[in-house]
Amino acid sequence: MATEVLWWVFAVGLTAAAIGVVTARSVIHSAIMLILSLAGIGAMYVFLTVEFVALVQFLIYGGAVTVLVLLALMLTRMGAEGEIGDLTGSQGPFAAVVAAALAILLTVVAIDTAWPGDIDDAPANISIEKIGEVLFQDFGAVFILISAVLLVAFIGAIVIARQEDD
Amino acid sequence: MGAADAWILAAIPAAAFLFMAVAGRGLPRQGDYLGVLAIGASFVLFFFVLQDFLSGGSVPVVQDIPWTQIGDFELRMGIFVDQITIVMIAVVSFVALMVNVFSIGYMKGEARYYWYFAVLQIFAASMLMLVMADNLLLLYVAWELVGVSSFLLIGFFWEKRSATEAAKKAFITTRIGDVGLLIGILLLWDATGTFNIQEIIHAVEAGEIGDTRLFVTMAFVFLGAMGKSAQFPFHVWLPDAMEGPTPVSALIHAATMVVAGVYLVARLLPIFELAGGMMLIITIVGLTTALLSGFMAITQTDIKKVLAYSTIGQLGFMFVALGSGEVGAAMFHLMTHAFFKALLFLAAGSVILGTHHNQEMAKLGGLWRKMPITATTFAIGSLALAGAFPLAGFWSKDEILLATQGWSGGWVTILLGFAAVMTAFYTTRLFIRTFLGSPRDKEVYDHARETPLTMTIPLMLLAALAIVSGFVVFQGVGDALGFPGGFPEFVYELTPHKFEIDWGLAAGSTAIFVTGTSFGFWMYWRGRLDRSTAVAEWQPGLYRLIDRKFFIDELYQATIDRVLLGFSYVVSWFDRYVVNDTGVDGSAQMTGYAGYLLKFIQTGRVPNYAMGIALGVLVLAGIALAAGG
Amino acid sequence: MVPLENYLVLSAVMFSLGVYGVLARRNAVLILMSVELMLNAVSLNFIAYAVYLDPERITGVVFAIFVITIAAAEVGLALAIIINVYRNRSTANVDEVATMRW
Repeated sequence: MATEVLWWVFAVGLTAAAIGVVTARSVIHSAIMLILSLAGIGAMYVFLTVEFVALVQFLIYGGAVTVLVLLALMLTRMGAEGEIGDLTGSQGPFAAVVAAALAILLTVVAIDTAWPGDIDDAPANISIEKIGEVLFQDFGAVFILISAVLLVAFIGAIVIARQEDD
Repeated sequence: MGAADAWILAAIPAAAFLFMAVAGRGLPRQGDYLGVLAIGASFVLFFFVLQDFLSGGSVPVVQDIPWTQIGDFELRMGIFVDQITIVMIAVVSFVALMVNVFSIGYMKGEARYYWYFAVLQIFAASMLMLVMADNLLLLYVAWELVGVSSFLLIGFFWEKRSATEAAKKAFITTRIGDVGLLIGILLLWDATGTFNIQEIIHAVEAGEIGDTRLFVTMAFVFLGAMGKSAQFPFHVWLPDAMEGPTPVSALIHAATMVVAGVYLVARLLPIFELAGGMMLIITIVGLTTALLSGFMAITQTDIKKVLAYSTIGQLGFMFVALGSGEVGAAMFHLMTHAFFKALLFLAAGSVILGTHHNQEMAKLGGLWRKMPITATTFAIGSLALAGAFPLAGFWSKDEILLATQGWSGGWVTILLGFAAVMTAFYTTRLFIRTFLGSPRDKEVYDHARETPLTMTIPLMLLAALAIVSGFVVFQGVGDALGFPGGFPEFVYELTPHKFEIDWGLAAGSTAIFVTGTSFGFWMYWRGRLDRSTAVAEWQPGLYRLIDRKFFIDELYQATIDRVLLGFSYVVSWFDRYVVNDTGVDGSAQMTGYAGYLLKFIQTGRVPNYAMGIALGVLVLAGIALAAGG
Repeated sequence: MVPLENYLVLSAVMFSLGVYGVLARRNAVLILMSVELMLNAVSLNFIAYAVYLDPERITGVVFAIFVITIAAAEVGLALAIIINVYRNRSTANVDEVATMRW
């Protein structure tokens, strides 16, 4: 019972933070809101008993991604003075309509679908051993490929972003 | 050399044509002797063919080779030699020989001399093939070839605009008839499944084709004959064809090509007889032509034009004979006419050359003193044409009048007799104004002189034939020459009848001759034009009508201008505005415009493209939901 | 505890908000942030499915881990590009970086 209420608290907070990301007037505000929503997602993972993934989420998103974003903002001096002009582009209203339609569509599908009848309302307990087992046994090859991708990505980033010495 | 090898007679001139067309220019004398040799060889070989044919009992000879096979249908090409063929070969080869010899003198010094002789050869070859063909396809090919040779020769002096116009007119007019012939041939094939003439005749006699269908088919075939033989209303091309060299007029437009129509009808006469009503139509067409051309010849002043109208009329006579069922009479008149008409044309050519290219009677007169041989032969030809006893024309015209007595009421005989009177009249007029009386133009008269031997010898030979060829109608003469019976008996093997002189009719024919000639004399003797001009002024409207050839040419031209060209304008409007502007240009421009409109989608702004993706996903999801749910 | 549909609706809402952000925002970095939002929503969805419907072979969870990894790599690269563009054009406004047009 308490868990449920807690869940709803986190859900509402998460939604508010997400709305904040997409509607904030300042880029820095948007970035902060992003940190909050990512953290909220991490909380959701805890509710789903996959604590390991929650940990990964916090570490990577909260630690690396947001730092990167803030760094980029600083480097390009976008956050220093306020943005000149509106941050919302010319197709704002139409985008709202599209997004709303999409939300309604997905919601309708989610609710109307006949899920297999014998699932509990409570999620199963997923142990970290299980995660490790599946990750390294069934998806071992993919794991290695992903690491290659990471390598290529950071080399690429260095190449693109370096400054030529004239 | 037997009758089965008769195709060689056509092959020799054809080979000569090929050789002369390619190498003629470089030969000594440009190869005119080669032409004479080629056609001479055909003429000589003809006698072997004749002998073989007669010794075989005058049975038709067939020789063919398989040509092509398409599924079940086998096409064979070959020759069929019977009495009609023999007569035609005789006429064609002899007259062609005379014309070739004559041309050596007449065409001397003309440009493209070698080409003239070459085309004469191909013409002779095609004509011979036409009369020997055993199936309608081969006949049609030869028919067209003959038409092309005629076209080339009429337009021989193509530097003159009038000559090219005349050649075009001849070809187009005969073309209309040829289309009819082709339709008829195809209809016959469709009904009987074969092109072979004898097979078709047997099939029709067995009653394989329905009456209406047969009538329509033969009407189309007769159209072809009408076109080629210049019968009304297709006669307009023949007078204009006089633009060609005079020997050509003699050969093609008097003796041989124009009789191709007569030959065709004669060959297919068994079928015509079974097509109800066609015989009457043939007779009426021939009769109309004979009368109309007689009127038109009376007012002409160019000697060649008078002869041209005369030819049209005499062909009408032959068709009347065919329409009355007498193939023998028609072929007989064909033969005698070929001889004396070719004679008249060649003599006219002699006059033309002798007076340095003067054809108008207004400038001639009194030439018999200066050109005696020409005058004498011309006189013989005229008498034969008018039907004077005992020249050839008398006998053949008499046979035709005899044949027309089959028609009830005798109206055919009377009308034909009237046409014969006119023939005698205008022939006399022609002779008097050209050769007798006092010369109308001093200048021309002084320079006139007789023509060389190469030209006068053919004249004399043809004159001799014009005198004696009529006698083959007698049984005795026929027997002596080797044919069983007289000429008509020889030709039409189905119902031979012994020739008997119908004295009443003979008297009638002579009376006709006398009437026409004396009337002519009375009008024009001593070169007097006052009587004829008085007649012309007495009825100016009528005179103008006849003089302008009943305005038929103007009628045709108006039809072409209004109807044909009008239709062409409509079609061309459609082609330009509908097909081109709307269809072709229009679709191209539409595409371009669509491209122009669509390019505005490429705004270059990423959010727009992202919107596109989002919308696409939404639409697809919606469709999937609607379709699946 | 909480039924599956809750998670699904939540992730749907977040995803839509991310879509809105991608379509409506002008700054390139903001668009990138919205993309992150979308990715996370999707990961949430996968994990929810895996835990509720397939506890034996939790494919969704593993997939979510991979998504997080790739997203991190992608953010690095994207920011590098944005910095480069900013250096050349001195603007990060996507509406202004539009020369490949008609």
